Amino acid sequence: MMRRKNAILTTAAIATAAVLGLAGCSAGAGNSAGSDGETPTTATIALTGTPTNLDFTTTAGSAIPQALMSNVYEGLVELDQSGEIQPLLASEWTVSDDRKTYTFTLQEGVTFSNGDEFTADDVKFSFDRVKTDWVSSLKAKMDVVDSVEVVSPTEVAVTLSKPSNAWLFSLATPVGAIFSEDAVDDLANTPVGTGPYAVEAWTPNESLVFDTRDDYWGEAPGVEQVTLKYFADATATTNALQTGDVDAIANLQAPELLSSFESDDQFVVTTGTSSGEVSLSMNNQAAPFDDVRVRQAVLYALDKQAILDTAWNGYGSLVATYAAPTDPYYEDLNDAYPYDPEKAMDLLAEAGQENLDITFTVPTRPYAQAVSEIVVSQLKDVGINATIESAEFPAVWLDQVFTQHDYQMTTVLAVEARDILTVFNDPNYYIGYDNSKIAPIAEEADAADEDGYVDGMKQVAEQIVDDAASGVLFLFPNITVAKADLQGMPENAIIEALDLTNLSWN
Amino acid sequence: MSTQQVPTPPSQAPRTSAISAPGNASTSGTARSGKRKLSATLLIGLILIGLVALAAIVSFFWTPYDPTQAMPADRLQGSSLAHLMGTDKYGRDVFSAMLYGARITLFVGVISVGIAILIGTPLGILAGIRGGWIEEVIMRASDIALAFPALLLAIMFSAVFGASTLTAMVAIGIATIPGFARVARSGTLQVMTTEYVLAARAASQSRFRIALRHVLPNIIGMVVVQSSVSFALAVLAEAGLSFLGLGTPPPTPSWGRMLQESQQFLGTEPMLAVWPGIAIAIAVMGFNLLGDGLRDRFDPKLNGSRG
Amino acid sequence: MPETTTALSRAHHTIPPLNPRNPNRMAIRILINLARFAVTYVVATVVVFLFMRLIPGDPAQIALGVNATPELLEQTREQFGTNRPLIVQYFEWFGGLLTGDFGTSYVTRTDISPMVLDRVQVSLILVLTAMVVALLVAIPLGTWAAVKHRNFSGVAIGLGSQIGVAVPGFLAGILLVIVFAVGLGWLPANGWTAPAVDFGDFIRRLILPVVALASVQGAILTRYVRSAVLEVMSEDYLRTARAKGLSKNGALLKHGLRNAAIPVITVTGVQIAALIIGAVVIERVFVIPGLGSMLLDAVGNRDMLTVQSVVMVLVAITLILNLVVDVLYTLIDPRLRRSA
Repeated sequence: MMRRKNAILTTAAIATAAVLGLAGCSAGAGNSAGSDGETPTTATIALTGTPTNLDFTTTAGSAIPQALMSNVYEGLVELDQSGEIQPLLASEWTVSDDRKTYTFTLQEGVTFSNGDEFTADDVKFSFDRVKTDWVSSLKAKMDVVDSVEVVSPTEVAVTLSKPSNAWLFSLATPVGAIFSEDAVDDLANTPVGTGPYAVEAWTPNESLVFDTRDDYWGEAPGVEQVTLKYFADATATTNALQTGDVDAIANLQAPELLSSFESDDQFVVTTGTSSGEVSLSMNNQAAPFDDVRVRQAVLYALDKQAILDTAWNGYGSLVATYAAPTDPYYEDLNDAYPYDPEKAMDLLAEAGQENLDITFTVPTRPYAQAVSEIVVSQLKDVGINATIESAEFPAVWLDQVFTQHDYQMTTVLAVEARDILTVFNDPNYYIGYDNSKIAPIAEEADAADEDGYVDGMKQVAEQIVDDAASGVLFLFPNITVAKADLQGMPENAIIEALDLTNLSWN
Repeated sequence: MSTQQVPTPPSQAPRTSAISAPGNASTSGTARSGKRKLSATLLIGLILIGLVALAAIVSFFWTPYDPTQAMPADRLQGSSLAHLMGTDKYGRDVFSAMLYGARITLFVGVISVGIAILIGTPLGILAGIRGGWIEEVIMRASDIALAFPALLLAIMFSAVFGASTLTAMVAIGIATIPGFARVARSGTLQVMTTEYVLAARAASQSRFRIALRHVLPNIIGMVVVQSSVSFALAVLAEAGLSFLGLGTPPPTPSWGRMLQESQQFLGTEPMLAVWPGIAIAIAVMGFNLLGDGLRDRFDPKLNGSRG
Repeated sequence: MPETTTALSRAHHTIPPLNPRNPNRMAIRILINLARFAVTYVVATVVVFLFMRLIPGDPAQIALGVNATPELLEQTREQFGTNRPLIVQYFEWFGGLLTGDFGTSYVTRTDISPMVLDRVQVSLILVLTAMVVALLVAIPLGTWAAVKHRNFSGVAIGLGSQIGVAVPGFLAGILLVIVFAVGLGWLPANGWTAPAVDFGDFIRRLILPVVALASVQGAILTRYVRSAVLEVMSEDYLRTARAKGLSKNGALLKHGLRNAAIPVITVTGVQIAALIIGAVVIERVFVIPGLGSMLLDAVGNRDMLTVQSVVMVLVAITLILNLVVDVLYTLIDPRLRRSA
């Protein structure tokens, strides 16, 4: 049957070739500007999950900061690949004795991509704007800021309402991005930042093209143009890499496809770490997961290593809650809920929830589809009958689960760095965790010295795990596949930025 | 293409049947209209559908394994005695999933074609019997519906109601209604000009009675043919929708989604794609051949003159 | 076969048949068709508009998320125009449709019209090329299969076309990619280049998706051509022609093909219309920015305005093709002329 089919295809192929051959030949000669021999000046990166628009101040979804932070927008500080805070637009800063006032000295000679000069006014404008104009849930990170004062064009003083260990870190994330006052009218289509790249072309659902800026204040990237090409599914990305249409795949969403690249020395595969937890979120405020025993039962019922092995081919690592080994307060809590179906059934019986029927809302992302089937199967073994309900991501999932909290169980990749408090220290967050126990510890930790911060945050994490507030299936790997001579693809994804500033060709 | 409205070969169109009894679209080339012998086309069609139906029926009583039961230790195994068609990435038994998938395939087909028959046929008969503005309204509504192919409707429905088997079935069903309305109408128009109907009308029988006594029995063959062909289209449509993520949600086994999930394994485990691919082709061919074969049997012209 | 029946039964029962010797009747027929087209389209806009309003939730709230302040929400509603009465919104949108201005998407915040225009071109190029290739394959194959319908080759073509129809298009596409792009490296696996940008690359990227579409469409059309030719071969006038001494093939060429062309043309029109959206599966496999994937992306984003605009463009294309097929059909069918 396949042979017959192929015969038809071959016939059709010959016919096509015959029809199109003439035109193809005549155009062939002049156009193929050779990338062979000389070093290319452009790079094309494949991604899955397209930004809906380019404005992360009013639009949710990690694809937007992933593309724009570091590349187009810069903050006063940045994170290096090991998670340490490093100076960026601020060359240095001092912290007052009460740890409430930060005085930043700004880089000079920095311009925005529209030509505007970067001054302390832009910092004040950007920080103030988070409170007034942002509608992202991230804006809460700036709540602690009391006032921003322009001391001189190159000096800005920020006063916090209380000492905060987390705040400076936040400045390296999207809330710390610096905007030009004259260029925020059409952020959705024309972002303007101080970064090394400027947006050259943006075609929604297709591609985002960056050109290197001539007037960039720092070291220029090693390529002149970077194209981010967005794909609907992972197989298409690997096909495109194999046929040379793209030069690298950032954050590959199909680990099953890696084998063919690992054995091929034309490509380099790196599996770094990320700040993204694949969660198993349970609605703490609605039955049946308002009962801690039922939540614990779910965690005992899941064989997380088996989930990681089948759903993601073993790539990634196991963590118990929203803290990654790259976080200063990380602690291995994986033993809290070992795989124990018996115990899960006992807990369910105790809670009076044998033969429980639940709805499992699964966003339409590859990792979510992959984990959902195995999770459903394992839950079935302990008498929990989970029905999968697909929710398009981001629109439907954000509206139904994140905004309206209309769900029982869901899974999502929480990519935000150091997000344990964002997720659990807010009873109005979609998980609805009762934060009365952790709130005082967290507040104390944020205001404490560094050791106090780490200790406090460890306590917070332990409490959250004790309460089985929510599960984490595994920590997402940052799988990158690149052509062997393309250098500088970031190995880890510690914040929501795909930093392309170090790209270069050998 | 998988989900567009594929018209069936034209031997059933009224013009055709009114003019000649054509050599038909059967693959054997031997079937002849009016013969009561089982033609090769019909036979092969019935055998293929029988296979699918058998798989579906068996799945109600027995599958070697629970098709949704993941066994991570046994993942991605090739064919063996323990797993006739091997296992998928979750270690689920592919053979069990194939059996169960037959059920889903037939279920989607039956419901969507059922919707189309139950709504389309009466509307078509009504249009044919009453004529006038009723006919005009029905046929214009049918024009509008025709402008929305199954795939387009299913995408629109999923935007409003979310993607599910039900949305897919209803969308495919609605998109199939005009086909039945048109077949029923043109069949009715033919029957209405026959002498026995003219006699019945002269005897002032009610239109409802005429529809029931004379029209329905005479167009039933055309409706059956249309059903068979629509069934094949529904199977393809469901597969296409599942491929786009708008069909049957996991973990319920569906051939279309199995095909979609197997995409990543084409390089390593190609059989994961081959099994559902063959199954879909068998089901579609079965119903197409059945349709072709039945078309030869229920030639509308012959029916019309038998009365 | 619903669509063909449409054209046929219309021609027979509802509209006065076209008669070239009577231009008035021809004009009337075309006018009636145009009027029907207009009415159908307007009703379809109402249906689509109201249907899309069934999507739960306030577009402004969905666009902004939970943390939006009431002022910002109101401002956004004003900007979207969703705070005005439904009827006003409808007429504004409908007016836009007529002038080709579909408005600004709530989600991408870009103008919809230029994107739709780009996508329509891509879809039309893809689908029309595929149909041309399919016809080039189907006409000789189908004719051969009919003429030799008792021979092995004829039966084999018939069987092959049955299989071609039964294989899902996306499976054909995936296999083509695996074999010709990833395996042999002859052609790109996916992507699209506009012909104006790089014509050679445009052709290279067009080949595989066109083959994927044309293999299935070719199989469908082969079945049509075969049964149309078979039918023509049994016609009285052909027998007469042969009785007059023409050879079988000569008679077929002289009289048959024109008549066989009629149902094939009808079906081709119908298939093109269906394929504009039907190609979405192939667009997905080959990452082609056509109308279908635009619709799918817009649905995923719950981008209501884009969804309803794309849907109406698709509906317009379908209706226009139906119109063309209907007119074409009556123009070339000698039987209908005779009956006038």
